[in-house]
Amino acid sequence: MEYWSNGRAMKTVMLTGFLLCLIGTLHGQELKKEFVDPMPQDSRSAAVKVKGGTMLFLAGHTASLPQVNVDHGNFEAQFNRVFDKIKTTLSQAGATFDDIVTMSVFLTDLRYIPEFNKLTREIFKKGFPAVTFVEVSHLARPQLIMEIQPIAVIP
Amino acid sequence: MKQLILTVLAVAIVATSASAQQREMILPVPQSAYSQAVKIEGGTLVFLSGIGPADEKGVLAAPGDFPGQGRATWENMRRILAKAGGSVDDIVTMTVYTTERRWGEIFTDMRKEVFKTGYPSSAFMEARKLKTPGALLEIQAIAVLKE
Repeated sequence: MEYWSNGRAMKTVMLTGFLLCLIGTLHGQELKKEFVDPMPQDSRSAAVKVKGGTMLFLAGHTASLPQVNVDHGNFEAQFNRVFDKIKTTLSQAGATFDDIVTMSVFLTDLRYIPEFNKLTREIFKKGFPAVTFVEVSHLARPQLIMEIQPIAVIP
Repeated sequence: MKQLILTVLAVAIVATSASAQQREMILPVPQSAYSQAVKIEGGTLVFLSGIGPADEKGVLAAPGDFPGQGRATWENMRRILAKAGGSVDDIVTMTVYTTERRWGEIFTDMRKEVFKTGYPSSAFMEARKLKTPGALLEIQAIAVLKE
């Protein structure tokens, strides 16, 4: 009782409380996100800057199992299957497409890039992630023409 | 006195949490100018798109000239990182795609020139083709800005 009636002690408690709040803010998970040099014509940003949030590192996603009944020769069909699977993975972690900050896109033919960019425009509505395209000789299965490996940051 | 001690302690904690970001290069390989890993806590992350030797209008620099394309690529990296409020020293990891593995040694020499405060982790591989027609390399980097 005597302690609480002491004005100085009270002040100390308040000050400490204030500083603890400040520490809490500094350690806070609130996400700050900035698209650096957005290039909407290329459906990507030169870079994406983030502070805070929870990071999610996804595997390379393909139109492979468990659904094999995809028209693999059709780029759009394969694209849709891959992004369906990415969406499922993201939602398991409480994330959405908008949380993707970067993705590596491995294609067996880079001539698909314009079509890829056209299709991603329908997916990223709040700003484009950073993107790296690489043409590779083969993916894990003969029928695959794309594999996408994203990183997301969840608010 | 108690108040003073508490305040100093609290300020110290705040200061530590604000500047806690310490990067540790794990198993550096100086002769090859990379580290096996980079350990870092906190900070602002910058995920870069694959950056190649084309200018802002998409025009390829130094056709057929790997060192020239390398310099142009690093210029682009510097420009984009500066826009994000950082520098190449903030890069913690990168994947380097090249159209020919034989450029590896030249690229290692370049890393020695570019990184003066410690080497990021790095992977170097041959891709069949890169986005910019005629590009011999492309770098995909992640940076953590110094606070």
